[in-house]
Amino acid sequence: MSLALKIPKIRASGIWKKSRLPLVIGGSLTSVMVALGIVSIFWVPRDVNGIDPAFRMLSIGTPHHLFGTDYLGRDVTSMLMAGLRTSIIIGSSAAFLSLVIGTILGMVASSVSKLDEPIMRMADIFMAMPGIIFALVLASTIGPGYLTTIFALTSFFTPAFVRVTRASSMRVLAEDYIAVARLYGRKRLFITFRHVLPNISSILIVQFTIYFAAGVLSEAGLSYLGVGINRPSVSLGMMLHEAVEQIGISDPLCVWPGLAIVILVIGLNLLGDGLRDHFDPRFSQRVR
Amino acid sequence: METFALKVENLVVALDDLVAVRGVSFTIEKGERWGLVGESGAGKSLTALAVMGLLQDGWKTSGHVWHDGIDLLQASDKTLSSRRGRTMSMVFQDPTTALNPVAKVGKQITWILRHHLKVNKKEAYEQSLELLNKMNLPRPESIMDSYPHQLSGGQRQRIMIAMALACYPELIIADEPTTALDVTVQKQVLRLLDAAVSERNCGLLLITHDLPVIAAMCENVAVMYGGRIVETGAISEVFTNPRHPYTKGLLASQPTLDNIDLDGGTRLPSIRGSVPPLHAMPPGCAFAERCDFATERCKELPELDGETHRVACWNPLMSTAEGV
Amino acid sequence: MGRFIARRLFFFIITLLTTSILIFALIRAAGGNVAAILLGKNSSAEEIHKLSAELGLERPLPVQYFEWMNNFLHGNLGAAFRSKQLASHLIWTQAPVSVPLSLGGFLLAILLAIPLGTYAAKNYNKPSGAIVAVLSQVGIAIPVFWAGLLLSLVLGVHLHILPTGGWTPWSDSVVGAMRSLVLPIFTLGIVMASTLTRYTRTAILDVMNEDFVRTARASGMSRRVALIKVGLRNASLPLVTVLGLLAAEMVGGTVIIEKVYSLPGISRMILDNVTAREVVVVQSTVMVIVIYVMTINLIIDLAYGLLDPRIRVTK
Repeated sequence: MSLALKIPKIRASGIWKKSRLPLVIGGSLTSVMVALGIVSIFWVPRDVNGIDPAFRMLSIGTPHHLFGTDYLGRDVTSMLMAGLRTSIIIGSSAAFLSLVIGTILGMVASSVSKLDEPIMRMADIFMAMPGIIFALVLASTIGPGYLTTIFALTSFFTPAFVRVTRASSMRVLAEDYIAVARLYGRKRLFITFRHVLPNISSILIVQFTIYFAAGVLSEAGLSYLGVGINRPSVSLGMMLHEAVEQIGISDPLCVWPGLAIVILVIGLNLLGDGLRDHFDPRFSQRVR
Repeated sequence: METFALKVENLVVALDDLVAVRGVSFTIEKGERWGLVGESGAGKSLTALAVMGLLQDGWKTSGHVWHDGIDLLQASDKTLSSRRGRTMSMVFQDPTTALNPVAKVGKQITWILRHHLKVNKKEAYEQSLELLNKMNLPRPESIMDSYPHQLSGGQRQRIMIAMALACYPELIIADEPTTALDVTVQKQVLRLLDAAVSERNCGLLLITHDLPVIAAMCENVAVMYGGRIVETGAISEVFTNPRHPYTKGLLASQPTLDNIDLDGGTRLPSIRGSVPPLHAMPPGCAFAERCDFATERCKELPELDGETHRVACWNPLMSTAEGV
Repeated sequence: MGRFIARRLFFFIITLLTTSILIFALIRAAGGNVAAILLGKNSSAEEIHKLSAELGLERPLPVQYFEWMNNFLHGNLGAAFRSKQLASHLIWTQAPVSVPLSLGGFLLAILLAIPLGTYAAKNYNKPSGAIVAVLSQVGIAIPVFWAGLLLSLVLGVHLHILPTGGWTPWSDSVVGAMRSLVLPIFTLGIVMASTLTRYTRTAILDVMNEDFVRTARASGMSRRVALIKVGLRNASLPLVTVLGLLAAEMVGGTVIIEKVYSLPGISRMILDNVTAREVVVVQSTVMVIVIYVMTINLIIDLAYGLLDPRIRVTK
């Protein structure tokens, strides 16, 4: 008598697996937008600041101006690409710096107990301060610009990284093999960096994508308010600000920069979700 | 009217292509006490969860599980919910996480009584006090008014048992009920469970890897290995004359005062090798690669064979009564 | 519980003090010479020096800090350099705009997100749940100001239902004021609701995997009842913590929304002063905002203490 096995339906395999969908979509969207941004470093169809009153307010689909031109005749396509570049640079820099600083502080906090309390208190204080306010304060003293924005965003994001790293690090440090390493006489801090770091790297990568996206949104907001990036640099938020001021909200020019932001952020978030699902154990999202 | 509390027929439990329970069958008559032994990963808990219908989403089952007149595997969640806690109940391993931390203990117990037995608040409260008294819990009024975090592990486990017994179920499944408790408390809790089950004449399925506990609490035993039951029968039979090589090895590896040399130097006999992982289960008998008596035939999956003392083996050990 | 409250209050005050030092340090240290900033680029060294002496900027920093704190606690928040307007007066006039807006948006977000998140969790493996999850994913990606622009475009310009901007003071017309607030509160609420929905869904799903939910189900609770009675109630704990973070986000959102809908709230004041580099006013205004956010956080923390019996009741 053979096993009467009711074998469940074979799931689709490879990249079309349902669970892989976020990763694939997110990855593609992000890559496209990032590629556009990077390309813009080397080449844009037209000069982003090239004012050309003769050709103002062209609609989309005009030859030479795929997305038309704005109220001063500047090519929208080029500005979109350059704006993406700004978003990407600022978002990724802020996320990366926060990652580095936050991870170091978090690991130190988890392994050096004397420093744990002070580090976490500082993190709490920074977290209580709304990021925008921080950026505004800096903008009022140092002045707006790339560095100010990155600095503000980094300060804003770092506490979150400290929290996450500390929590994950403590979890790993409680494992048995760490106790063994300590028996071998290794210093606590060394253990943390040598053993904990590889284990939490997946969590850090996911957090990086999340904060990258947050950085993009924050930068757009700040530039919209006028305290982020200004001309001659181009920012998507700034484009929306100009569009509203000069033309009024009815114009489709208000749509493209926003759409670009949305696509980039969705792409990053989905990528983060996909990566998280990929790294996490299989059974974590099942429920009874 | 059936005589059995639970009848499991060819239960298979799988997650995608991983088959964790590979065709398990056994029957628990009303009032009978069965122990289910095996190492971690043998599929004991999954079997219990499958019976209760509490597997996580994604796990699929096949076979039949007969209880209270229906096939539990085919029943809707609603139907199952009316049985759970009333005709069949379960006690879980870890008391620290098993109770709702934000609700008072009293509320958690009375809910069961009010939901299943439709009694009013006052009745439910009185009955709950009774239950707690039976569990030897001092000052039950105070306990009813407490939150789980205010109580000890032993107290919590006794509350869990009380909750499981509240509606006089036909079957109680206890999954490692004392493993997470202090050694000093374990015996107390087991004794209480024993008394309560006797008093109500419930069927009991006691899952554990601890053989002495089974010997003390149950009359029958089923030995599980690699997702299959390899030997069943009365404990008096199976533990004295094990017929499956795995059972024999399991019994031999139990530390008793006989095989421990108090001067140090004796090693506990152990079964060589280890359990094959789920994704690399051999098609035949799962124990073959560790078995000293394996033959070519063992590449084919053996079925349970025998009358009251059954074994799934092509080369079962001879009992000391017959032969040799 | 009493100990818990005392502890939280203690940290509240400590954090406020530390933040005030932080703000002070940022403004003074990072920006360079305050007087130079106030006077602008074309000022002479003489003018700068004169103003510095006037404002007492020559004195040691700790002294200046204490003076600021002292004035602050007495209600003197400083004045703008050019317009001579009192900061406290400005804040007082902006509050009736910003406070209802921020609180309204916050409450709306909670009212929307909890049911939606619960629904998404309940149907997590069905299309209906997936749709909600996707929508919230999109909602998170939409910048606050863009959402405002679009909603303003659709509801204000094209459909003429609501004013697209501008503000009717409460004193003039209560209904008018409320009308001007509807769209802004709605925008702020929807954007914050997206994030909160996601968190709610995750929190509930996480709780549903806990052992005590299994016990509840083993006792006879149906999936639905278990989710609401046990799941939601336990998920409220991590959610309340998230609300604390949301409060900080709310401020940023309020600032942007006020700009989008041209509401004369705190944000306009702060932005104007930031662009004009009126550091003194900015310093005090930021402090007020921080106090506002921290008070909300304190209330949320205390609520957490009430919700979690492990804190509320000791052994």
